[in-house]
Amino acid sequence: MSTIEAIQAPRSRYFFEALAPGGRRAFFLLGTVATCLLFAFPVFWLVLTSLRPGYAVYYVHRGSDFTLDNFREVLSQEIVLKALWNSFAIATLATVLSLGVTATSGYMLSRFRGTIPTAWFGAIYVFRCVPYVSWVLPLYFVTRAMGIFDTYWGLLLPHVAVHICFFSWIMKGFFDGIDPSMEYAAMIDGCSRWGAFLRVALPAAVPGLTALAVLCWLYTWNEFLFALILTAQNTPILTVVMAQFVHELGMEWHLMSATAVLALGPALIVTIFGQKYVIRGLKI
Amino acid sequence: MAEVILTNVRKTYGAVVAVEDLSLSIADHEFVVFVGPSGCGKSTTLRMIAGLEDTTRGTISIGSRVVNGLQPKDRDIAMVFQNYALYQHMSVYDNLAFGLRNRRVPAAQIDAAVRHAARTLSIETLLERRPRQLSGGQQQRVALGRCIVRNPKVFLFDEPLSNLDAQLRGQMRLEIKELRQRVPTTSVFVTHDQVEAMTLGDRIVVMKDGLMQQVGSPLELYRRPVNRFVASFIGSPAMNFFDVHVTAVPMGFRLSADGIDLELPQRRFAGLGAHAGRAVTIGVRPQHLRLGCTQVDQVGLSGQVMVTEQLGDEQVLAVRVGAGDIRVAGIDPELSLPTGTRINVAVPMDNLHLFDAASGVAIR
Amino acid sequence: MAGVANPMAGFRLVAVDEKKRFMLALIAPAVLVLVFFQILPILTGANASFRDWHLNDPKKTWIGLTNYAYVVRDREFLNVVLPNTFGFLAASVAASLIAGLMLALLLNRQFPGRWLVQTIVLLPLMVAPVIAAIMIRWMFNDQFGIVNVILEAFGIAPIAWLTQKWTAFFAILLTDVWLWTPWFALLLLAALQSLPPEPFEAAQIDAASAWRTFRYITLPMLRPVIVVCVVIRAIDAFRTFDIVWTISGGGPARATEVFSIYAYVEAFQFLNFGRGSAAAVLGAIIIVVFAMALYRLLNRWVEVSR
Ligand SMILES: Nc1ncnc2c1ncn2[C@@H]1O[C@H](COP(=O)(O)OP(=O)(O)OP(=O)(O)O)[C@@H](O)[C@H]1O
Ligand SMILES: [Mg+2]
Repeated sequence: MSTIEAIQAPRSRYFFEALAPGGRRAFFLLGTVATCLLFAFPVFWLVLTSLRPGYAVYYVHRGSDFTLDNFREVLSQEIVLKALWNSFAIATLATVLSLGVTATSGYMLSRFRGTIPTAWFGAIYVFRCVPYVSWVLPLYFVTRAMGIFDTYWGLLLPHVAVHICFFSWIMKGFFDGIDPSMEYAAMIDGCSRWGAFLRVALPAAVPGLTALAVLCWLYTWNEFLFALILTAQNTPILTVVMAQFVHELGMEWHLMSATAVLALGPALIVTIFGQKYVIRGLKI
Repeated sequence: MAEVILTNVRKTYGAVVAVEDLSLSIADHEFVVFVGPSGCGKSTTLRMIAGLEDTTRGTISIGSRVVNGLQPKDRDIAMVFQNYALYQHMSVYDNLAFGLRNRRVPAAQIDAAVRHAARTLSIETLLERRPRQLSGGQQQRVALGRCIVRNPKVFLFDEPLSNLDAQLRGQMRLEIKELRQRVPTTSVFVTHDQVEAMTLGDRIVVMKDGLMQQVGSPLELYRRPVNRFVASFIGSPAMNFFDVHVTAVPMGFRLSADGIDLELPQRRFAGLGAHAGRAVTIGVRPQHLRLGCTQVDQVGLSGQVMVTEQLGDEQVLAVRVGAGDIRVAGIDPELSLPTGTRINVAVPMDNLHLFDAASGVAIR
Repeated sequence: MAGVANPMAGFRLVAVDEKKRFMLALIAPAVLVLVFFQILPILTGANASFRDWHLNDPKKTWIGLTNYAYVVRDREFLNVVLPNTFGFLAASVAASLIAGLMLALLLNRQFPGRWLVQTIVLLPLMVAPVIAAIMIRWMFNDQFGIVNVILEAFGIAPIAWLTQKWTAFFAILLTDVWLWTPWFALLLLAALQSLPPEPFEAAQIDAASAWRTFRYITLPMLRPVIVVCVVIRAIDAFRTFDIVWTISGGGPARATEVFSIYAYVEAFQFLNFGRGSAAAVLGAIIIVVFAMALYRLLNRWVEVSR
């Protein structure tokens, strides 16, 4: 009721509307440009730093010598190449595994009622809240004990564990939005429960899955804490390698920046192609 | 092709009883319609036959095979859903072929079956489209097609027409009837619309609050409802009811209430004997009331016209009799009856329905 | 009678089991991963929290609640870490929610170059938080940082950003808001685009101003999504580690320590793994309770305002 009255109340004049149409447009434009500058500046600075020779990085804003040597140098380091590949593989595999594991879990939360779903929902809600520090440190001991420390599995599975709670929750939302009678029809058409899930419900959830895949990939690609604690020399990860360039020992800002710009490339590609699907699919 | 037999079927969800002790046998090729108000357990019954819900108690058999515990896919049934439930990510062709592919039917045979079904339903030109690109009626046809390609033992329909507009609904009703003559598969059809029930069903099952009220042919239900609920549910406009007091008089019974005073002969209404001195409910269909004075074997009422509804081919009156309103249908549309006009209406005694006022059970 | 009843009971059991089996199979992989890579480590940590477990001297003797008693009596924890953590949480969530909402509203309009603006706004999602933090530290460096250079250009004396509590806190907050605003913007934009058009059309017919439309139509319809976003983001903000660690390391003199840093420092700098674990467990309990309360509260707000 109050909404309707409120809407019908006489038009009040606010600052924004008081501006002439031209002024409004200018205001809008100014705001947009300022926002873009604010968001782009750290990245811009990163790119600028990566293009400066090593001796000039302390005064990025002064002088005009630019070079691509930094990129040449980091790409000649074997550990960077290895880390690029490892990060890519881990991010991709973690995305596939996380989605696979949470699609089923979210589907079950969406389609069934009873003690099992309630208990599972409670569990993921609680474990979602647990801070990383309280498990990433013991996780170090656990992966060591399992003999998977500093291997793909030793980083992959914890990453999947990170995503289980949140993604199950979101996936439940996706499946809630899909009419279950489609699956009933499939079951009557000769599918088992698994068949109905895999061949009817899952394809219908593809927009949501795509959105999550993009976010999951970006998150894993950029993740640092787990990579720092759960890997060593055998499995270098890009974020860790980058951070090591500016370790107390050698402040190699130019190399760090060059690697970071390299790391930005795949993320940029994923975002540019994925943003449409993310916005379309991510309705919670 | 098969018969479907339900024996003492019961379904509860926690404390909610959705279906209570339902026994019914549906003959081969028969078209049975479940009808009843919202929440009466029609869909639940259908879903139990489909195997989408398990029964709490009782057995269901299809074609003399007990199917309790069988997966829907193993029951050899097909189902049309209220919202069609077409597979959105598949073309119409793939929607129709899906069930056959699941059963590993050879591709050539699938193609023949799909094209035949599409021809039957005149959707041949739509085969390459996605469900989203179809109108409601077209989607409905695809849903029907998905059933007939499979040639299952039983068709199940869960309110398939309720998402369509009135005109399309009438048309699809005819199409389903026509389809039935070509494909006489045993069918169970759920609806809350009594017109659909009357026009489609060989037999109708009326349900209320999980309980089966009456089973019978449309005419049987219309002519001899077993209780007040069935009487009120079947027929449009709905039956008029008024509560009266019964007193025994020589050779008959006198039924009286405010503004009503009828005498019924003992000979034809022997059942009333047990109700002398108590209240009963009289039911009269609006179509059975005629304007004019009481003749032989009729009883009469008089009242004041309150509202007239002009339908073009007839008028329907709301008439105040005593304290209540009754509806009178089938009035000549040319007749002018301003509000307040006093009229007499009469009804043949054969068309009177009498119910126990407390329990609603028909008095015969 | 019994002859009929028995096979029926058998059938029912089969049907129920089949459904349960399916349900369990669906969650089995998730449960397995969760048990081995989250619950098991958490239990390991919880176990350590009851023991005298120094990393340089792991006696591992059972000492009951001693570690907990130390943490809840530690002035550092009570007077610095808790206020810091919750202050950071509130400021970060509020700022990125408002900024994200404004961006979502901007991006929900059609204008030339929208796609470019959207991509720029999403840039922070593509940058590793740790790199962003390193960059910020670099930009806020008191000698070489661009921020001070710009200030000097305006005639303002350079500020030693990272060596004072509030300025360091500001830098951290700025990074966090920069990193997470796009996340809010994305979710809210998705929600905006899925809103039904009818209420907006009705508002247009009723001649509602832009602000009133936003206040009385858009905002109420977005509320459920906002609640979910805020709860999720609040939980994440509570456990922030890497950007604080990179930018200030909890300094100067532990002044910007938040809860995760405290647990980490206790465990790995003071080498008292038992005490660090106790702090972590305490934090977990606090945030679980806090998240539930927040969810309830916000949900009530949604209900009431309907
Ligand atoms: N999954 C369920 N959990 C609990 N109760 C249910 C469930 N499904 C149905 N019911 C209850 O069982 C009763 C019968 O429901 P059913 O769906 O069969 O009604 P219906 O006759 O098909 O009604 P409608 O015409 O509205 O479709 C209702 O009271 C309903 O609330
Ligand atoms: Mg129903």
